Amino acid sequence: MNLFRIIRILLFVLCLVGSDAAAQMDSTAVADSLLLLQLQRSMQQAAPSIQQQPAPRSSLSTNPDISAIGDFRSSYTTIGKRKVETYFNELELQVVSVVDPYARAEFLFSFGKDLNTGELGIELEVATLTSLSLPYQLQLTLGKFKPVFGKVNILHPHYFSFVDFPRVINNYFDSEGMFMEGASISWLVPNPYDFYQELTFEVGRAGSEPNASLVPGETDQLLCVGHLKNFFDLSQNSTLEIGFSGLTGPNRLGFSTFIEGVDLTYKWKPLRYNVLQSFTWQSELLFANMRSTDAEVLRTNGGFSFIEYQFEKRWFLGARYDFSGFPDDATRKEQAASLLLRFQPTEFQILALEYRFTDRNYDRDFSQVLLRAIFGIGTHAAHQY
Amino acid sequence: MSRERTRFAAGLTLACTLFAYTSGLGQLKVVTTLPDLESIAKLIGGEQVDVYSIATGFQNPHFVDPKPSYILRLSRADVFVTVGLDLEIGWVPPLLNSARNSRIQKGGEGYVDASTNVPLLQVPTSASRAQGDIHIYGNPHYWLDPLNGKIIARNIFETLVRLDPDHRSIYESNLKKFTETLDAKTKVWVAKMLPYSGTKIIAYHNEWPYFEQRFGLQVVDFLEPKPGIPPTSSQLLKVINEMKRDQIKIIIISPYFTTESADLVARNTGGKVVTLATSVAASEQIKTYFDLFDYDISQLLEALR
Repeated sequence: MNLFRIIRILLFVLCLVGSDAAAQMDSTAVADSLLLLQLQRSMQQAAPSIQQQPAPRSSLSTNPDISAIGDFRSSYTTIGKRKVETYFNELELQVVSVVDPYARAEFLFSFGKDLNTGELGIELEVATLTSLSLPYQLQLTLGKFKPVFGKVNILHPHYFSFVDFPRVINNYFDSEGMFMEGASISWLVPNPYDFYQELTFEVGRAGSEPNASLVPGETDQLLCVGHLKNFFDLSQNSTLEIGFSGLTGPNRLGFSTFIEGVDLTYKWKPLRYNVLQSFTWQSELLFANMRSTDAEVLRTNGGFSFIEYQFEKRWFLGARYDFSGFPDDATRKEQAASLLLRFQPTEFQILALEYRFTDRNYDRDFSQVLLRAIFGIGTHAAHQY
Repeated sequence: MSRERTRFAAGLTLACTLFAYTSGLGQLKVVTTLPDLESIAKLIGGEQVDVYSIATGFQNPHFVDPKPSYILRLSRADVFVTVGLDLEIGWVPPLLNSARNSRIQKGGEGYVDASTNVPLLQVPTSASRAQGDIHIYGNPHYWLDPLNGKIIARNIFETLVRLDPDHRSIYESNLKKFTETLDAKTKVWVAKMLPYSGTKIIAYHNEWPYFEQRFGLQVVDFLEPKPGIPPTSSQLLKVINEMKRDQIKIIIISPYFTTESADLVARNTGGKVVTLATSVAASEQIKTYFDLFDYDISQLLEALR
C-alpha cells in the first residue's frame, strides 16, 4: 500500500516537473519564434519594391552653399614706428552651387581693411562658371579666378598653412597671389602609365590690382598661363606631385613679362590614422624675365620650401625658407626663415603662431611674431587635394 | 638588331595596352566610396562589373583625402556609389567636381545614393555645430545593420539594370542569392547575440546605432564628448564612473582610432577594449560584407563570454 502511494506521489512529482520543463521549453521556443518573426518582418520591410518612392535625403531647397570665413591677425615687428598690429584682415563670403546639370558657379567676396588708409573695401575675388560635363575629359572655367601657376597661388589664404603667402608670391604678384579674368580650360591627359596628368591653359587679363609683374594692359596683349600637373601615388600613404607652369603677359612698363615655375609637393599621411599624423614638403621655384626697355630684360628669381608635420590630431609644426628677388629690380633680394605652430581644434577653426626672420639686402633685417585666427561658419566647399 | 628590338618592345607594349583595354570592355566601371559598397556591388554585379573603392576598410570614412588619382577613376566610371547623408561631404564633392563625368554627378544616371530607402536613425530635430560633427540627415553608418545591406544591394541593382538591361537576369539572380544569404546569416548572427541582448557597452564614436539596434546591444556613452571631438579627461572620468556604477565591461572602438583613451578607461574599470571593424577590408580576413559581421560578432562574443 505504502509502495503504491509512493509510486503515485513520484508520478505526480514527475508530471509536475515535466509540465514545468515543458512550459519553460515552450516559453523559450515562443521567444525564439517571436524574435525570428520580428526579424522576418524587418527583413521584409528592408526590401522595398522598386516602385517605392525614395525618401528625401536633402533639404528641398535650391539655395546655394554659403559660408563666411573670418581671418583675424596680430603681429609684432622689430622695426618701424608701429610695431604692434592687430586687425581683422579679411572676411571671405563664399557662395557656391550647381547652376544646372552642366555647370556649377562660385562667387567669393572679400571684405578687408586697407592697413594704410583704414578703409573697409569689398572685392569680388572669384566669380566662376565651371563646366561639369564637357567631352574628351575637358573642363572649362569662365570668369574671375586664381590662375593655376604653381601650387600656392591657387589657394585662398585661409587654406595655406602659414600666416601669409611666401615672399616670392608677395613680391611677384600680390599678398594674396595673382587673379585673372578670362577663361581656363583643363584636360586630363591620357597616358600609357595611367597616372594623373592635367594640362591647363588660361587666357585673359590680370585681375585685381596691378602687381609688380603683370598688369591688365592697355593693348590686346593678353595674359596667358599654362600648367602641367603630374600626380603620382607612391604608396597608400604617400604621394608626389610635380608641376610645371609658365605665363606671359603685359607689364606696367609696356612690355612683356615671362615667368616659368616648377613646383614639387610630397605628402605622407598614414591611411589608418590619417587624422592624427601627416607630413608635407612643398617647394616652388620661379624664374622671371621682365622686359623693361627695348634693350633690357630683368632676369630674377625666387622660391620657397616648407615642411609641415602633424604630430597630434590638432597640432602641427612647420618651417619655411623663402628667398626672393623683385621682378622690376634685379639688385634687390631678400630671404626669410619661419617657424610655425598651428592648432586646429576642428576643421572650422585654426589658430597659428609664426616667428619669422627676414634678411634684406636693401634695408634693415627684422623679426616678426605673427598670430592668426581663422574661423568659418556655414557650408564651405571642400578644398582640392 | 637594336631597331628590331625596339619595334618588338613597342609592339609588345601596344598589344598589352590593347589587351588591357579590351579585357575591360563590356564591364560596367563602378567606383564606390567605401569597401562595403564595393563588396555589395561585386556580389550583385558579378563578372559584369569592375568595382573600385576609394576608401580602405581601416580608414576613417569621414576623412579621406581627395587625391587626383581618384579623379582619374571617377572620370571613367559608369556608376558611382556613395553612402550619402553627408558622410563623405569633405572629399566627394571636390572629386566629382573635377571628374568631368556627367554620368556620375548627383542626379546622373550612374549616381547611386546607397542610403535611398534606408530607415534612418538619429535624425536631429535641430542642427548646430556646437553639438560636434552632427549629420543633419541622420546617422550615416547604416551599412552596419545587415538588413540595410539588402536595401543598398537593391539600390545598386536598380542602377545596374538601368545601365545594362541585357544582363538583368544575372543581376536579379545575384541579388536573390545575396538577399537569401544575408537573411540566413542575419538569423544566425542575431541568435548568437540573443543571450547578450540589452548588454550595456561604451563606444568611442557614435557610429554604432544601426548595429546596436539589430544585435540588441545598448551603447550608453561615448569616449568622445561630442561626435568628432577627441576624448577629454572629464568625459573619460564620466565614462569610468558610469562603467563602475552599471557594471559595464565592454568598450568598442574602430580600427582608425588609437586605443590610448579606451585602454585608460579599461584599466580603471576592469573593462575590455574590443576593436570592431566598421568596414569590409578592415583586416585581412574581412573580404566580403558577410565577413564583416562574422568578424564583429565573433569579436563581441569572445569579449562578452
